[in-house]
Amino acid sequence: MTAIRTRRRIPMTLMARREARHGYLFILPWIIGFLAFTAIPMAATFVFTFLNISLNQQEPIAFVGLDNYRRLLGDEQAWSSLGVTFRFALLWLPVVIVVPFLLALAVNSKSIRGSSLMRVLLFMPYVVPFVASALIWQNMLVDNGWVNRALGWIGISPPSWLNDPTWVIPGLVMMGFWGLGAGIIINLAGLRGIPTELYDAARLDGAGWWRQLRHVTIPMMSPVLFYTMILAVVEVMQYFLVPLVLFNGTGDPAGATRFFNLYLYQTFFTYQEMSYGSTLAWLLFVITLVVTLLLFRVSRHWVHYAGER
Amino acid sequence: MNRIRSRLLPALAATVLALTACSSDPGTGTGAGKSADSNTAPVEIRWFCCLGTGEQAEQVKAQQKVVNDFNASQRKIKVSLEVVSYNNARDTLSTQIASGNGPDIAGPVGIGGAAAFHGQWLDLGPLIKESGFDLSPFAAGSVDLYKIGEVQEGIPFAIYPSMMFYKADMFEEAGLNEPPHKYGEKYKWPDGRESEWNYETLKELALKLTVDKNGKDATEAGFDPKNIVQYGFEPSRDDLRYQGAAFGAGTLDSGDGKTVKIPDSYADAWRYFYDGMWKDKFIMTGPVFETDQFNGEGAAFFSGHVAMSANFLWTTYGVAGAGKDWNLAAMPSHKGKTTSPTSADTFRILAKSKHPKEAFEFLSYLVGKASKELLTAYGAMPARTADQDAFFTTLATQFTNTVDWQVTKDSVQFADNPHSESHTTKYNQTITILGTYRSRWMTQPGLNMDDELAKLQKEIQTVWNG
Repeated sequence: MTAIRTRRRIPMTLMARREARHGYLFILPWIIGFLAFTAIPMAATFVFTFLNISLNQQEPIAFVGLDNYRRLLGDEQAWSSLGVTFRFALLWLPVVIVVPFLLALAVNSKSIRGSSLMRVLLFMPYVVPFVASALIWQNMLVDNGWVNRALGWIGISPPSWLNDPTWVIPGLVMMGFWGLGAGIIINLAGLRGIPTELYDAARLDGAGWWRQLRHVTIPMMSPVLFYTMILAVVEVMQYFLVPLVLFNGTGDPAGATRFFNLYLYQTFFTYQEMSYGSTLAWLLFVITLVVTLLLFRVSRHWVHYAGER
Repeated sequence: MNRIRSRLLPALAATVLALTACSSDPGTGTGAGKSADSNTAPVEIRWFCCLGTGEQAEQVKAQQKVVNDFNASQRKIKVSLEVVSYNNARDTLSTQIASGNGPDIAGPVGIGGAAAFHGQWLDLGPLIKESGFDLSPFAAGSVDLYKIGEVQEGIPFAIYPSMMFYKADMFEEAGLNEPPHKYGEKYKWPDGRESEWNYETLKELALKLTVDKNGKDATEAGFDPKNIVQYGFEPSRDDLRYQGAAFGAGTLDSGDGKTVKIPDSYADAWRYFYDGMWKDKFIMTGPVFETDQFNGEGAAFFSGHVAMSANFLWTTYGVAGAGKDWNLAAMPSHKGKTTSPTSADTFRILAKSKHPKEAFEFLSYLVGKASKELLTAYGAMPARTADQDAFFTTLATQFTNTVDWQVTKDSVQFADNPHSESHTTKYNQTITILGTYRSRWMTQPGLNMDDELAKLQKEIQTVWNG
């Protein structure tokens, strides 16, 4: 017979209860904010998905069952926008995870001189406002811009970054390099936190640079890499601002930058279809949730927590 | 602990009070249509700009002056101006309406801008009747332009016909005569030959006016299409419907509100536009249009590197950039018919305005007493026929060159009807699809336009069916 172990809750002392009450009181503003601006609106959008709310509707608001979900299944634009987001993710995710890690490794290396200056230089673009940097990059990527001139000098026939549907996504990825500063700092903090004894031990065992990286650095950095990966996935699903600024939300060229979030935005504010927009928003939420949960599930096999028992 | 509590509770109470104060609706209790009497605070009217023109610094200044003058002239209404850039205006207005915080008046807004908010404008008919607003100075047709079904959504204010802007110096340099200013006149070639002023003649001219960096035009052997420094023609690029309407009026609605049919004139225009860019090279492609060299403040003609451009009167705002030798010519015909796509702006009152009477009073001021000042700022031709001559006299003072403004007046009779921006089923989605195809055609060579037109029609039909 298997004994069922039940956790018995230890009764709180008067002092502990009082402290808990005060704790709740302190976080009350946040709870109110969360309820008012996140939880209740989220619940409301879920309810909207079963209604027919549109700003320009002539008929009264009514319950339409699963009509919005049925429409979503047949909405080619929604799936094509999701395709745009996934194509971008495919290029962007490796860049946003691997490049900051590699740059942090370089900056952290003892054999590189002026690492403090490099750290500053790498972080500096991050403090430039996003919209401003997008507009700067727009001017750099036009057909006769600096990037194409530079490519021309080295004999490469430059593409039309912002006008060619094939090249616009790589162009956006290139712009994203400016935002890698935060990732570099996070990775650098992680690298600095790895105990030097581990490297000493590895060296004693005859491990060279590559084996130290593979068997010490990467496992010890795996929680940091996992953290940046989760953030990047959420960020990529919400990718929106740059194409909105660069192309005024048109999805140009030829719909190649109509990211799912942009389509969602258009459905809400340009097409004024609040219920269908809510349905799209919930699809985005579910996809992000599923991907995040999958990553957490898979993380058990590759993320190493040093303090884990 | 008691000390903590005694400090926390007042702080909490203050927070609750502040939140309550923030959430209270100052408009509550005013009631729809209630007027403020002289003893109460003035009714606040919000004027939302810029779904059309109005965002340029000088225009904002003129609009603010109109608001200040109106506020100073009486005490019962206080108007505030909200300027949102054109690119963000639609989304901002949608958000405001969705959150129950819409303005009272919006404008100047064109037919297309208003169609994007179909069903959300107040019927001015009863207010016009009640106030005895005089509509007689406007042509009956222009009043009806704002009548959607039985709803009178606007009062005529500004009209912007399309004309052919051209650079006289480029014609002179090429040894060509200038295009005709009078509708119905033929184009005279230097050899004495005369051609009907249509889009074929325009193409012939445009090819001669498209010049590469070596000075060769597009009709000469050895012309280098990769290094063009001057283009022959620039159509109205903003919207495929404008290009279509320039070849003949029409809408995408076959008439039943359910079936999409691309008008033949639109199809002809779009083929002409596409071939002009990628085959004949007298129209710049999208990537070229985006370069600093040719994109002068949003209109290629302003760059001074384009010989002819079919565009609306509103482009006078930046046309000085083209140099001192520009002038106006008649719009060419297509298959024997001439059309001048005409935009028409006015102010509209939101159906959900809490103060429609006061809003109408201000609207009457905008389209009445303040109209001259505003029309000059907008570069718009008055819909009130009696004001047109004075408007052109004022407009002419802005330019050092002599412009044949009579062309503009003559163009009005060729206005597109049905209007290219008329409301259709799923209007906003339709515009998005048209925008995507516009971008595609501007950026991708080698497309089969017959297939493209069929695909476009099918795609819009799918949206309409949904």
